[in-house]
Amino acid sequence: MRFQLALAACLLTGAAHAATDIDLFFPVSVQGKLANEMARLVEVFNKDHPDIHVTPVYSGSYDDTNLKTHAAIQAGKPPAVVIMSANFVREYVISDEIVQLDPLIEKDGMTEAAFMDQFWPALRLNATEDGHAYGVPFHNSTPLLYYSVDAFKDAGLDPDHAPVTWQEWIDAATKLTKHEGSTTTRWGLMMPGTYDYCGWITSGLAMSNGGEFYNTGYGGEVYYTQPSTIGAVRFLDNMVHKAKAMPEGVTDTNAVTTAFFQGRAGMMILSTGSLSFVRDNMKTPYRTAFLPRSLVNAAPIGGASLILPKGNSPERQAAAWVLIKWLTSPEIAGGWSRFTGYFAPRIAAYDLPEMKTFITAHPDAKVALDQLVYARGWFSTYNVVGVRKALEDGVQAVLSGRATPEAAMAKAQQEADALMRPYVEQTALKVPE
Amino acid sequence: MKREIPLFALLLTCAAALLWFIPFAWMAVASFRHNGAGATDLASLMPSGPFSLANFSDAWSSGHFPLWYLNTVLVCGGILIVQCITVSLAGYAFARMRFAGQNTLFALFLLQLMLVPPILIVPNLATLVALHLYDTLPGIMAPYFASAFGVFLMRQTFRTLPREYEEAALVDGASRLQIIIRVLLPLSLPGLTAFAIVSVTTHWNEFLWPLMATSSPSNQVLTVGLATFTAGAEAGSEWGVIAAGTFFVAAPLLIAFVVFQRRFVSSFTFSGIK
Repeated sequence: MRFQLALAACLLTGAAHAATDIDLFFPVSVQGKLANEMARLVEVFNKDHPDIHVTPVYSGSYDDTNLKTHAAIQAGKPPAVVIMSANFVREYVISDEIVQLDPLIEKDGMTEAAFMDQFWPALRLNATEDGHAYGVPFHNSTPLLYYSVDAFKDAGLDPDHAPVTWQEWIDAATKLTKHEGSTTTRWGLMMPGTYDYCGWITSGLAMSNGGEFYNTGYGGEVYYTQPSTIGAVRFLDNMVHKAKAMPEGVTDTNAVTTAFFQGRAGMMILSTGSLSFVRDNMKTPYRTAFLPRSLVNAAPIGGASLILPKGNSPERQAAAWVLIKWLTSPEIAGGWSRFTGYFAPRIAAYDLPEMKTFITAHPDAKVALDQLVYARGWFSTYNVVGVRKALEDGVQAVLSGRATPEAAMAKAQQEADALMRPYVEQTALKVPE
Repeated sequence: MKREIPLFALLLTCAAALLWFIPFAWMAVASFRHNGAGATDLASLMPSGPFSLANFSDAWSSGHFPLWYLNTVLVCGGILIVQCITVSLAGYAFARMRFAGQNTLFALFLLQLMLVPPILIVPNLATLVALHLYDTLPGIMAPYFASAFGVFLMRQTFRTLPREYEEAALVDGASRLQIIIRVLLPLSLPGLTAFAIVSVTTHWNEFLWPLMATSSPSNQVLTVGLATFTAGAEAGSEWGVIAAGTFFVAAPLLIAFVVFQRRFVSSFTFSGIK
């Protein structure tokens, strides 16, 4: 009996000291390197916080992570924290599956506005909804123009002057394109045309072409048939079929980087999140520049925010909030940024001495930072993956020469409208009679 | 007497075989070539030096392959064992027994083949959570314990067997279960083998469902594990390491196919799956 009591006491105290177990869903970004760094970070966190135990859970691509998180929430097993593609946050707000962060922020003695002021202004749009915080920016990116110095010299272009306007861009791309017989040995420009990337880049071009692309304040409208979007798609079409400076069809991200590293592409559009990967693998000199502009400078935000799904116990939620604050602290955010190439969302990260040294040593990282002034929100709607794919199917058809920009965008708009219809019916079209 | 194969058919088969072979050839070539992602002959099919095993050791050390192999074998093996029992019993029922609503029930079974698996993710996950199987290996297996395709295949296989065997066994006093185990199953082994191949390759290669049903790194299977170090969201990937990792994933099936080739081919010819 005494033994049993002792055992019970042991168990009880054991329980009192047991760490709160939480899981962190994370989409991996590049090879094992990032996944390993994430595992290392979590290890450091666990050591510093003996009362919390975090398990990093690899959850596939951004789209897979979204699917897995929705499914886990609906099945009653919500993860404690998710690194979620920043533009998916709105959908979680609409479906009421995500914790509003304002109470947690206020508990720390801060206001929502003061909390968000710690992050670059362009990031706030995707992290907040209707004046309330729902996501904390973790790593972010914008599309960037990468170009090869050798290719520029070879084509008689000045590597110190990257194309600034679309006119200069298409001219440079034409000059950079090299043929040998009927085969093209060097393309002027390459960009990933696969899902996710394709929509992101197209939205950036449409925004640069004067457009809004989507309704930033309401998740039921996209502007695929507006002149700004049509013009952007027509520009891509011209790049492929008139200037013949970009390969026809859909090119995958790996093919783009591989071609760029081998000198088979003079320029490429890629995320700032790829900076470290390019820096490690590009053997000849390269530079980065802003996404060239049509009417205005613009670039959409990309990357991911940390979110708290609903349905967790208060203990798990509290532990998750500690993890989020730790991951987005200037030191950790800055270190992650230097490791990956994503820029650090926390403004204070750039005041740290190690960050200042890094920026001086790597001017390519500074371009990404400078472009932030022109950054816009990342398009987010109800049913965002489907709505994005509708556009991407259209753009891919144009890139492959199967449709005109006008026809492709009309079809994309129609599909997107149908996908958003249930939400629109319940919101904008639900008016008093 | 040897039958003449028409030249056109021969060419077509060769072309298909070549098309099938290229990715494997590229995988082999790329995995032995030791270069970073920036090499000029990166995408080339031609083997070129320097050759090294560095990609294999990189890939091996990037993940927990022994654990992933074990989990994958357990999942595929577990599914197969249960499936063999369920599909042969159900196949027998549809082939030999007479009961009300038989055809309707069979049609419903076949209808299941038309469902796109992703739409069942959420309901299946909810069931797993209710059964306390979420994030376990049995949880990955559970939705596949019954197979509409397998039931169909075994029904067809049983129907090709002459009833006389069963009647003879019946006269000798065998029970229904004994007839299935002692008489029908040995005779339909080629059909069962064909089904086993389809089942194992399907589940060996499956990605989405294991990703959804498990969270703990200790429950990862090969495909999910491979993706942890090869899937690039915004940047590119190192081809050599990917190729080597893919090689690790595909190797067991490739070796099994080469070893049992003759057996497999005869099974497929027998069962009419081609």
